[in-house]
Amino acid sequence: MDNLLEIKQINKTFQPNKEVEVVALRDVNLDIERGGFVVLSGPSGSGKTTLLNIIGGLDDATSGEVILDGQLLTGLSEVALSEIRRDHIGFVFQAYNLIPVLTAKENIEYVMKLQGRSQQECDERSLEVTQKLGIDTLLGKLPNQLSGGQQQRVAVARAVAATPKLILADEPTANLDSKTAASLMDMMQRLNEDEGVTIIFSSHDPLVIGKAKHSIVLKDGKVIANERVC
Amino acid sequence: MFRLTSKIAWASLVRRRTRSVLVVMMIAVSLWGLFFMEGIYDGMTEQMINNAIRSDSGHISLFGEGYRLDPDLSRQVVDVAVVDSFLARDNRVLSYVKRLKQDGLVATAHYSRGVAIFGVDLAAEEKHGRLKGYLSQGEFSFGKKGRGTIIGFKLADKLQVRIGRKIVLSAQNSHGEVSAAPLKVMGILKTNNMALDENAVFIGDKKARKLLAIDEGVSQVAVILHDEAQIAGLQEELRHKFPHLEILRWDELYPALMQSRVMMEGFNLVASLLVFCVAALGIFGVMLVSVLERLREFGIMLAIGTRFSQIRNIIFVESFFLGFIGFSFGSLIGGATLYFFKVNGLDLSMFSDAFDEFGMDAVTYAIVRPSYFVTALAAVTLATFLSVLIPLRVLKKSKPIEAINKV
Repeated sequence: MDNLLEIKQINKTFQPNKEVEVVALRDVNLDIERGGFVVLSGPSGSGKTTLLNIIGGLDDATSGEVILDGQLLTGLSEVALSEIRRDHIGFVFQAYNLIPVLTAKENIEYVMKLQGRSQQECDERSLEVTQKLGIDTLLGKLPNQLSGGQQQRVAVARAVAATPKLILADEPTANLDSKTAASLMDMMQRLNEDEGVTIIFSSHDPLVIGKAKHSIVLKDGKVIANERVC
Repeated sequence: MFRLTSKIAWASLVRRRTRSVLVVMMIAVSLWGLFFMEGIYDGMTEQMINNAIRSDSGHISLFGEGYRLDPDLSRQVVDVAVVDSFLARDNRVLSYVKRLKQDGLVATAHYSRGVAIFGVDLAAEEKHGRLKGYLSQGEFSFGKKGRGTIIGFKLADKLQVRIGRKIVLSAQNSHGEVSAAPLKVMGILKTNNMALDENAVFIGDKKARKLLAIDEGVSQVAVILHDEAQIAGLQEELRHKFPHLEILRWDELYPALMQSRVMMEGFNLVASLLVFCVAALGIFGVMLVSVLERLREFGIMLAIGTRFSQIRNIIFVESFFLGFIGFSFGSLIGGATLYFFKVNGLDLSMFSDAFDEFGMDAVTYAIVRPSYFVTALAAVTLATFLSVLIPLRVLKKSKPIEAINKV
């Protein structure tokens, strides 16, 4: 099996103050194969977001290792992590998190610009992605002129446009109605198949969870189920 | 990437436009005040210096050896023809005049007072220092028979004489005897050079020679140059050529005026420092609030691969925009104001009594120097960079990535 991501013995403990210690993740071991469409599910506080943040290099594990495409992320400098996020990981957040002062097109092109791509490349790629996602008519609009579903599509387009190896989506449908959520998931599934990009998303929603090819369930920071759907 | 950085910075300022406009106005108004004060104060100082140069010292003055310490008729510039020939041929020299000076006494029916007698050639003085321009009453002439005099306005006040009145001028002549001459007041000068306005009695050169019983020699040769930058060079040459003469620059003769000029430079520096503080505090306040409000936005940018240095650039560019726009507006209105007062003058006649006391003109013509704008630009640029250091530190410490997950 060709694994894109290996998570080894990850533990994460938060210490909000001297007396209190919160264990968010306990001995998490996971292998995610290249091209996977993976869901992380579990009740609130089970550690889904923490695990996604650690995988994405947004947070440090207390112990353990994260290996992305053969490269150990644990212990890397902030600059190196930032370059890995820019070149290899796309993010989709629950609250869309577009840059408010940039248009949809500029948001989509933002990471590509960070990668140093030319304007022509950016134009071609953003057109290709937005046509696939059906948002090519929204390119000139600012985030505050778009609906929640439209903003989330732009966020997905931003994540995909930079051709990452991995997309991490933290509850991408949580703020959307069921119809929009289903449509977004169909779209992400299509991107997974067409572009071959590995997608890991977290969700509570059984309809969304049902679309995944690989399901991981967390509870109290531990993996209690890890199943691949054939 | 620079275009995108600039776009984000500009759009962020536009999004908070009221705040941005207030900071820009704050910088612009303080710069306007700075330029106005610098231009007017420099104008006042330069006018005082110019008055002293035109009416008395020139850029360089030549005196007989020991004359400055003991202004006696025996200590004259005697080789006038040689000096004349040197100055007439030197193309750095714009003009020069020769004056005969002696202390004397002026008396009216009611009052007498010690004065400085100046034996001058009015035509040469007019060409040299445009002395006629200082005439406040009467005419710029010693009369057809050369029996008239022109005196300073303060002296006229003290003697309580008007145009056409008689005064008696007496002085010790070269033989050690006291000689006197009745003179008619033909004109009254207001040079704003206190030494002249309070003490000067100008009479014709021939009349002075007759009164003082002196045939040859002059007390002072005042030289005006085309270019101030050549003063030191010419002074050196003259000292070399005429080692027996005392050759002094205007700032050696009027050290207080030179001090005023130095003080103005100090004042300008302090004023620039104040503008720096105003700009720095204004930008600091806006940038700190802006950074704290946008933690989430910066968190998103960091999460998707922006380096902290790129975020720092956005903040620097924002700060630069605020400073530069403020500077541009300030320079525009400040420059226009100074230009207006350079052409029309700032009339402060209502304070003329106080100005007279200090030998200043009631109408001040502003000066516009490129250095005002260069110094202000340096101060604002420095302020734009220093004022964002603390907001950047706050941003770094507040771990903006953590703000992403706070919905």
